[in-house]
Amino acid sequence: MSGRALWTMLLILCPLVGYSFFQAVTLYGEASSAAREQPALASGLSPLDGVLVPTFGAFYVTVTLLFPFVALRALGREKESGALRLLVQLPYRVSTLIGAKMMAVMVAWLISVSPVISAVAIWSAFGGHLYAPETLNLVFGHSLYGLLIGAIALFAAAISESSATAAIVTLAFTISSWVLDFALAGQPGVLAWISRLSLTQTLRAFEQGLLPAGLVLGIASATGGFAALAAIWLHPGVALSAKLMRSVLCVCAIGIVLAIATQLKTSVDLSEDRRNSFPAADEQALAGLRQPLVITVHMAPEDPRYIDLQRNVLSKLERILPDVTVRLATIGQTVVGSTSEESYGEVEYSYGGRSAKSRSTSHREVLPLLYGLAAMPIPAPAAGGDFPGYPLVVSGWDALPWFLGALPLLIVVTWWWSRRAPNIPSQFIEDGGQS
Amino acid sequence: MAPLASRLPAPTGKAPVLLQVAAITKSYGEQRALADVSFDIQRGEILGLIGANGSGKTTLLEAMAGVLPVDNGSVIWRGLALSLVHRRDVIFYLPDGLRPWDDQYVERVLEFFAAVYGRSKSEASETVHGVGLAPVLGKRVSALSKGFARRLMLALALLTPHPLLLMDEPFDGFDLKQTRDIMGLIRRVAANGRTLVLAIHQLIDAERICDRFVLLADGKVRGMGTLGDLRVCTDLPSAGLEDVFLALT
Repeated sequence: MSGRALWTMLLILCPLVGYSFFQAVTLYGEASSAAREQPALASGLSPLDGVLVPTFGAFYVTVTLLFPFVALRALGREKESGALRLLVQLPYRVSTLIGAKMMAVMVAWLISVSPVISAVAIWSAFGGHLYAPETLNLVFGHSLYGLLIGAIALFAAAISESSATAAIVTLAFTISSWVLDFALAGQPGVLAWISRLSLTQTLRAFEQGLLPAGLVLGIASATGGFAALAAIWLHPGVALSAKLMRSVLCVCAIGIVLAIATQLKTSVDLSEDRRNSFPAADEQALAGLRQPLVITVHMAPEDPRYIDLQRNVLSKLERILPDVTVRLATIGQTVVGSTSEESYGEVEYSYGGRSAKSRSTSHREVLPLLYGLAAMPIPAPAAGGDFPGYPLVVSGWDALPWFLGALPLLIVVTWWWSRRAPNIPSQFIEDGGQS
Repeated sequence: MAPLASRLPAPTGKAPVLLQVAAITKSYGEQRALADVSFDIQRGEILGLIGANGSGKTTLLEAMAGVLPVDNGSVIWRGLALSLVHRRDVIFYLPDGLRPWDDQYVERVLEFFAAVYGRSKSEASETVHGVGLAPVLGKRVSALSKGFARRLMLALALLTPHPLLLMDEPFDGFDLKQTRDIMGLIRRVAANGRTLVLAIHQLIDAERICDRFVLLADGKVRGMGTLGDLRVCTDLPSAGLEDVFLALT
């Protein structure tokens, strides 16, 4: 708490979060003005997409690049100063010590998120709409991400002799995630699987209002795994061979849990506009499809139509149906040149021994086709329940004094307060001269 | 001249053996830091590990405390092998040159250690006054002089309840008067039943404070026993520790 890293990061966060919030609110206000003239546009105005995700975006960048320096300080200083040799002699297990350090990291994250929480509060004070489940889900996703970064930083501090080396190791993890995002996104097969290891992928679902059980288990196991590795490597008295052996066992255990996590398809759609779900009547009807559904897509993975299809149809089907297999039949094809021009763009649906083809990427056309394959009637749409949208015309300028003046001042005052000298108990200074 | 081992005196048997160091060996790559080091520590004594810089004193203390892995050897506590995880139950090792948690206030560091080991405020206060830390309680550790930083470390060690304390160069950073005061304090600690192993390279200090000595050179034990025992070994009946040390190493 008294270290400079956390407070410096907080001071840097103020203008970053403040400017992101200002921009988001301004753009949202402009879009809302247009919605006043054309009410149909209002349904596209979601505070989650328009304000919360961009504001948390600035926090994400800071957590990725700066939070490692705060987190690794929890252990790095003790390694550098030699205090680790005192620490490991305290009457606690190493796992308890790492657990305490993780708690400290969590507290640091909670303090770090305060500028973003203040932005959410200001949005609410402006009269902006907040849907609690999707807002809390987003905060939860960022907290998982922050803890994962913290655990990686602790592991890096445990294996490194200096904080500088630990910082490089941690940034190698976080920045290589961006490389994975840019280089491998949209690639098929093994490359697609590798791209899912990117740390930034952990936030995507939460930013869409999804709470996926597999992802939560995966992040939790990765966080626990890095913390366990930190515990293995922390004690200076354990031989290198023993540390390596325990690490191999730990990595295997993490691998098993991650493999289980990838098989967990359960997820909860917490978005107010139910963007990750089909209409309620369709969801009810589709729940009756118990046989395997095989979908063969004749498109290149980077084709925007495939991305549309995935967002509008495939991901929603995978959430509801118990057995869905999606195959890309176009390995080697590209958008500009395919090996079979005629079939390119087709999507073939096979269910119960019957199949049908479509080129549509909209659920409005695909679902009737599936009902046809399953010989089911098309359900009548349920009345109501449409997302109304929440337009709000407000000036973001009003928030800037808080982020550029009052909040930094409050942080500096709190920093100063946290560094104040303690009150020395009277029995300590009796006969002891000045204090 | 007879082999060194045969010239070393057997344990006197006057006090029960608290801890045995058995054949500890430690190498850093090609360099052997400790070679088959063995000796006993008797309950309530102040044992001095004596050797020049680089003789292996710190390595030996760290190996005994379990904060450094060894290639071979064991530590035996009252006849039973002491595993790594149980070392911290009976041994506390105070490293040399540490300035831990340097952005914290002295009072908070002491409070933390006192709380960890369940020490009452009066016990903590007694320790503070014993080592003369009261004037700097309100200072940050980073702002302490070398002498006060050393006193803080000593206070942390004294707040622990461990029956065996290992201290690396406990008198470094103290002037003559301060050294004498701290020696008096250490004697009182030993008189209260705790056992101390002090790694000291200043032979004059060692001769004043230690009951017995283990002489180390190049990672090997070159002699052990009381000054009287060592005089017998070296056939130097009126020699000081310095002469004995030079004769054996």
